[in-house]
Amino acid sequence: MLDVELRLPSDVQYVGLARLVVTVAARQAGMVDERVEDLKIAVSEATTNAIVAHQQYSSSSPVILRFGPTSGGSFEVTIVDAGPGFQPQTPEAAAEKDLSTEGGLGVTLIRGLADDVRFLRGEGMKVHMRFAVGLEAEAG
Amino acid sequence: MDLSLDHRSEGDRTILEVGGEVDVYTAPKLRERLVELVGEGHYKIIVDMTKVEFLDSTGLGVLVGGLKRVRSHDGTLALVCNQERILKIFRITGLTKVFPMFDTLDEALADTQ
Repeated sequence: MLDVELRLPSDVQYVGLARLVVTVAARQAGMVDERVEDLKIAVSEATTNAIVAHQQYSSSSPVILRFGPTSGGSFEVTIVDAGPGFQPQTPEAAAEKDLSTEGGLGVTLIRGLADDVRFLRGEGMKVHMRFAVGLEAEAG
Repeated sequence: MDLSLDHRSEGDRTILEVGGEVDVYTAPKLRERLVELVGEGHYKIIVDMTKVEFLDSTGLGVLVGGLKRVRSHDGTLALVCNQERILKIFRITGLTKVFPMFDTLDEALADTQ
């Protein structure tokens, strides 16, 4: 059950606050430090994408994060935005990417760091990430 | 949450020391500094990330942008990083193959051409 909800204005200055709050909750849930670092980066990426989507489409709605420990030793985070969504690309090594653009690595990082991630398109975009609290189920 | 930037020269190399958190909010400052340095003719840059506490893909993108800028002047951009949590995101994104990376500044100074 994702029992905490954080509503953020569409301003990139709040990405740091999202990282801070989610990682404190994860530590309280017993997440080991190495996994907290993975979680922190993934939350930063998904929250950045959501806020930038709101800015691009002039949405006045808040970006919503729901998070908390779940059964089975996991910690889950869902980040919801009101943007049009996007088609997440399959993981792609940077060496094979077109580096003429500076963006596009965020989804690669989320996929590489979370134990499970789902991108759900509805009226907005919903990114659902799961992290094992311990090290044993860490994604490669 | 702050980003600190400080640069100095050693021979023909310019060392840009980055500290704190590099994310979508602070990365524009790093981008501006790299653009300024290249604009001033600093084409052999070593970015010392020893004091970086957080870096995400926005920061990676700025470093890639800096690399492209110096390469357009036949320059180099090397990274000093010894923190596993930072190195991990370079590995996941494949950027360890793109940047010359060193554990210490001394190694970077010895190797950077």
